[in-house]
Amino acid sequence: MPQSATDVADFAQQVVSGLSSGSIYASVALAIVIVYRSTGAVNFAQGEMATFTTFVAWTLVDHGLGYWGAFALTLLIAFAGGIVLERVLIRPVEDAPVLTVVILTIGLFIALNGLMNWIWSAQVRSFPPNRPFPTRTIDVGGVAISIQDIGIVAVTLALVFALYVLFQHTKVGLALRAAALDRDSSRLVGVRVGWMLALGWGLAAALGAVAGLFTAAAFPPLEPNMMRAVLIYAFAAAVLGGLTSPVGAVVGGLALGVTLNLLSAYVDFVGTQLRLPVALVLILGVLLVRPAGLFGRVAVRRV
Amino acid sequence: MRVVRPVVTVLAVAAAVAAVFLTPRWVSDIDLAEMGVWFIAILGLNIVTGYTGQISLGHGAFMAAGGYATAILVADHGVRDLWTIPLAGLVGGLAGFVVGVPALRLTGLYLALVTFGLAVATPQLLKWDKIDGFTGGNGGIQLFNEDALLGKGFEDVEVLGHSLTFTRAVHYLTWAIAGALLLLAWLILRGAPGRAFRATRDSEIAAAASGVNLAAHKTAAFAISAFYAGVAGALYVIAAAFVSPDTFPVSLSLTLLVGAVVAGLGSLWGLVAGAAFITFADDLAENVSTAPGVPDTVYGLVLVVLVLLLPTGVAGGLRRLLSPLTSRL
Amino acid sequence: MGGRILLFVAAVALAVGIPGAFAGSAADPGVTSGSILIGGTTPLSGSAQAFASVAKGANAYFKYVNARGGVFRRKINYKFVDDGYIPAETIRQTRQLVQEDKVFAIFNSLGTEHNLAIRPYLNEVEVPQLFAATGATTMGRDHGQFPWTIAYQPTYIAEGAMYGSYIRRTMPTRRIAILYQDDDYGKDLINGLRRGLGARASRIVAREGHAATDDNVESQVAKLKSSGATVLMLFTTPKFTIQAFQYVNKLGWKPKIFVNAVSSASNIMTISSSRGENKRVEGAISIVFLKDPNDPKWARDPGIKLYRQIMRKYGSGNPKDVYNVYGMSVAYTFVDALRRAGRNPTRRSVMNAALRLNETKNPFVLPGMTVRTSASDHYPLDQARLERWSRGKWISFGGLLKARS
Repeated sequence: MPQSATDVADFAQQVVSGLSSGSIYASVALAIVIVYRSTGAVNFAQGEMATFTTFVAWTLVDHGLGYWGAFALTLLIAFAGGIVLERVLIRPVEDAPVLTVVILTIGLFIALNGLMNWIWSAQVRSFPPNRPFPTRTIDVGGVAISIQDIGIVAVTLALVFALYVLFQHTKVGLALRAAALDRDSSRLVGVRVGWMLALGWGLAAALGAVAGLFTAAAFPPLEPNMMRAVLIYAFAAAVLGGLTSPVGAVVGGLALGVTLNLLSAYVDFVGTQLRLPVALVLILGVLLVRPAGLFGRVAVRRV
Repeated sequence: MRVVRPVVTVLAVAAAVAAVFLTPRWVSDIDLAEMGVWFIAILGLNIVTGYTGQISLGHGAFMAAGGYATAILVADHGVRDLWTIPLAGLVGGLAGFVVGVPALRLTGLYLALVTFGLAVATPQLLKWDKIDGFTGGNGGIQLFNEDALLGKGFEDVEVLGHSLTFTRAVHYLTWAIAGALLLLAWLILRGAPGRAFRATRDSEIAAAASGVNLAAHKTAAFAISAFYAGVAGALYVIAAAFVSPDTFPVSLSLTLLVGAVVAGLGSLWGLVAGAAFITFADDLAENVSTAPGVPDTVYGLVLVVLVLLLPTGVAGGLRRLLSPLTSRL
Repeated sequence: MGGRILLFVAAVALAVGIPGAFAGSAADPGVTSGSILIGGTTPLSGSAQAFASVAKGANAYFKYVNARGGVFRRKINYKFVDDGYIPAETIRQTRQLVQEDKVFAIFNSLGTEHNLAIRPYLNEVEVPQLFAATGATTMGRDHGQFPWTIAYQPTYIAEGAMYGSYIRRTMPTRRIAILYQDDDYGKDLINGLRRGLGARASRIVAREGHAATDDNVESQVAKLKSSGATVLMLFTTPKFTIQAFQYVNKLGWKPKIFVNAVSSASNIMTISSSRGENKRVEGAISIVFLKDPNDPKWARDPGIKLYRQIMRKYGSGNPKDVYNVYGMSVAYTFVDALRRAGRNPTRRSVMNAALRLNETKNPFVLPGMTVRTSASDHYPLDQARLERWSRGKWISFGGLLKARS
């Protein structure tokens, strides 16, 4: 544990870097939670969808579009893409067992990864120099904090707030929640359930696109497998926070990012080899006490 | 619509069968042995996921437990490989029991994702350098020239007076064990334990109300299922005469679940099709083209289309196909 | 009558059976009068498929040779199959190639653990394991035990030793930190570094590993910085090398950086430097043994011109990808060995030829390099030059170094 001033700075540095990676896990976890709420399944293709849209943004910038223009256009494309995927692929198996949907997303995962290798090749590439945020760094008492870190955390928190407002304070949000909670009753009161579920996929895909663009900046380079590890951490974060809770996803993501860093930096036997296994054991420990995660609701069982 | 569905299903099944037999390279003993391994593994997975309703995305870890048990017993203790197979099953089953107990607290996709974590962590754990004297670390354990191995050095094997090539011997051995385990599974599933499993899957509350001991049956299903995975792991290692952490990657656990769902959950009829899908689909995809990304694209799309056409797997498709016949009888 | 039948039988036997019998005794599996079939494994699917260019570059070169008549009128058919980068799958596919496809030799299979997994089998059945794509030292060192095996590229230990002796000569008192991939590749580089440093090995003050499947190494770089080191060794793959440069810059750390050859192609350095924005990349040191197609100094080089021509006509991938050059270089050496084995190649004669290489004109390796093997030297590529990244390109310095393990 930290003793001298430099030790404190080192410790703080690990926490800061954990928060910045944690906010990326959080945004993917958020996307997973939204899909879970609307479809009742976890989307294994969420990471590859994010990478795919990041490649789309890369292509747009490569063709001369400004970064933020490409960013906005990519979000729209992702949103539309998510809706199309739900309508074309998920809708036909809506009433099938949840595992059928999970396997479908695994197929989508493999196909999207193949498509990216096909279209853009496996070569590593960098996002053009006009990154989302300046690469400048501020020094706070020996701790280096980049504008980019601050930007990523801030945007993630802003997104959560926006989603909160959407879900809790708009009519669409109410319909979204209703459709997720009880399809049949929602239909009876006139909610267009099918479109609400598709809207959930669209929102999740757009969120994923943000996460992909940030990942390309914070964990370069851009390549087809960029989101593989992130997806695994995002799953862990979503389970930790509770699959039904957007707030839980964000708390889970940040907690996971910081925990992973501190584990490998300060617990000797963990080092870098065991950080993933140990993190998973910790999550399992939490789940044994709270089976639906920190913020998740336990489903009430009816006979 | 009523006409279209069965027709499409027939076409899809015919295409799958044709695909298996139109493989350009004649299906070899090596392929068939591997297919037997997948058969056993997805049969086991079906017991816990298909019949008991507990989703496991971590069965690759139980295969690893069995595979390493065999490798260590053969390499370090000179145990005959055939005898290690039941032991490997027990090691896998024990691992399944250990996972099954905390799994009681978890439901649905929480359980799925925790077991997925197990699949992610297992290769990492096997590479840990504090135990590499035991596991062989990154490089794994080479069994090629071990005396205790069936057909040491892939040499011919003498079975009941007949000389068989090593690969053919493993092919027969795998399917003999697969047949025995299928019979065992059928006996378990048609009796009282099977009824309890299915009752648990369909409604835990109703099952408990009718006197089913939920905890005992759920853990038992996990342990039996992992026993199967352990046996499959042992056979996989014997066939390759090699084991290493990357032999059991995360994708293996996903592949097993894919195989089980393609076969059809909660039924034993589609298992051969599921095992064939795992063994041959990727080879077929590579026959389309080896251009970058094309094999994965083809494989992924085939899987998506298959799931859309047969959401309840090959077994479900067969049932739907045959139901007009059986209901008329 | 009986005599005629006998004559007829003899004639048929002569026409059909006996030439067949001769061919059977002279030629090994996979060789016909018009072709020779070789095989190998490579990741064509999954997360490691970027390496597939090693096989595809080689295949493009074989097509080029075949279009010009092949070797002794034999076309080289190179069947490379997917192992998904899983060693157990490498074994299965290799056995399929040997037993079902009856390949003449296994060529250019990729990966350290993967090649080690198939080595006992191939040596048992006496099928050459030619020019394995791995830098593991054991491939050359244990030739006595595995005489049918030979690798190609400089070993990681040799590469590490080059950096070590350079540091010992030019900056002996600096403190050294290492970021490495936690597997045999990273550890071999560290062992080589220690060997090259000799008594100065104690200057290594910190080392941090990462798994190949990690997402980022920011935490590791922060920890290395806090060790107070002023030299940083990057013994890791392109993805993590690019990240390390970014994090070093972000943390305001200014060490002298060494990049291992797996990650030092100029396109990767250009990405690392964020197109010149990141000054930490300036002055980085690496080794080089192949001509880098992105390096402007080779633009008019006949070898790279040939490379571009072959890529245009027969290649399938991205011509900027240096793995293609590697593939062509190893294919060139295979063709050379096949020529040396003579008009009627056998597995043994090709293996012998591979152990008696003396190639001075391989167009894809650095000028002046010789691809040489002998009874005591089982390392085909064992020379390299040091290079320094300066204003957007690599500048070689010092002469050719012997990269011996």
